[in-house]
Amino acid sequence: MVLKIYGFPFSTATRLVVFVCKEKQIPYELITIDLFKGEHKQPAYTKFHPFGQVPYIDDDGFILFESRPIVRYLLKKHASQGTQGLLPTDPQAEARAEQALSIEASSFDPNVSGIVAELYFKPQRGLSTDEANLARLKETLNEKLDAYEVILGKQKFLGGDSITVGDLAHAPYGTLLETVGQGEFFTSRPNVARWWKEVTSRPAWEAVKAECVL
Amino acid sequence: MVLKLYGYPTSTCTLRVAVTLKEKNVPFEFIPVDLVGGQHKTPAFTANQPFGQVPYIVEDDGFQMYESRAIARYIAAKYAGVGEQLIPKDLRESAIFEQGASIELTDYEPFVSGLAWENKFTQMYGGTKDEKRAESLLATWRSKLDAYDKILGQQKYIGGNKITLADLFHLPYGSVLLGIGIDEFSSRPNVARWWNDITSRPSWQAIKDGL
Repeated sequence: MVLKIYGFPFSTATRLVVFVCKEKQIPYELITIDLFKGEHKQPAYTKFHPFGQVPYIDDDGFILFESRPIVRYLLKKHASQGTQGLLPTDPQAEARAEQALSIEASSFDPNVSGIVAELYFKPQRGLSTDEANLARLKETLNEKLDAYEVILGKQKFLGGDSITVGDLAHAPYGTLLETVGQGEFFTSRPNVARWWKEVTSRPAWEAVKAECVL
Repeated sequence: MVLKLYGYPTSTCTLRVAVTLKEKNVPFEFIPVDLVGGQHKTPAFTANQPFGQVPYIVEDDGFQMYESRAIARYIAAKYAGVGEQLIPKDLRESAIFEQGASIELTDYEPFVSGLAWENKFTQMYGGTKDEKRAESLLATWRSKLDAYDKILGQQKYIGGNKITLADLFHLPYGSVLLGIGIDEFSSRPNVARWWNDITSRPSWQAIKDGL
């Protein structure tokens, strides 16, 4: 039975799962959950995802939610096919890949998702932007990306000199940040800009952007 | 020469690494970083941790890394044969562990750290509590814990039926909030059962009041 991904085409977490499926040449079926209609909060959905969020996967009856665990599972299960080295097994290389994934989850995601919420999702829902919060988030993201600039001046990717899942994890929200006109966070920093271009010009990511539409 | 843990005695992230080291009986040397004096923002420090945060570790052979959850994973993998298997080996069991670890990161950490900031730390640094933000965080955290209660009614721990790093990751901030009188655990039977279980572990008892 082919892997089923229950998600939303524009959801960043859903897109990360599809991105890894494409990198690893894993066939999948993306089943759209209608977030606008609140389908993700219905009992039929929360039965599988107790937090009522997208995505979750059904891999031949094995249910898993949270995008980072899903991609780790898929990377381990299909280690021998597709792009290699996204989740290294050598202890120190693995530790560096985990460090990169942790940096993305703690230093990038909260600030970028907050900025995108203030600039796009809140107005879309008829709420006004909290300018003070937006300013704070931008200041924090600038500090974090200054550290990225230092790291990426010494090594090609966040986890070392090869690309790992920690780099890929930045693509969905980073792309959204560009879409809301905040691309300067990347372009103003030469090392970050170089890295960002490498990550987002991957054919698998281009395919995600082309395919994950309504 | 033992593993060096650079951190702050009561820092939640430092304690997250320390409890893992204790679980695995790994000897370590704790080297305090003067956060109050801004040591973590000096070039000598940021050369080791570019984000200017604690903790980071340095091993015998010079290997060093930061990010508390990544450090804990490295320790758990390196000492997999000692004590409890804090990261399962089986593919599906490890996936459920990862799910639990991700739940902690996205459905717990943002709320507990925000609540700790508004209700405790901001005053310590001469700031004022943002009441609206604190209210909003508490409301969302409560709905998250309702989901925790469902999950913990179906499995013993947040990462499956055995203790894993995912449970340990919850300890520091949960304790900070209880320490300032924010108890959202006792009223939820399965969460209460789980919280009592993980906090009674000798590894946590040994360091819960700081290093």
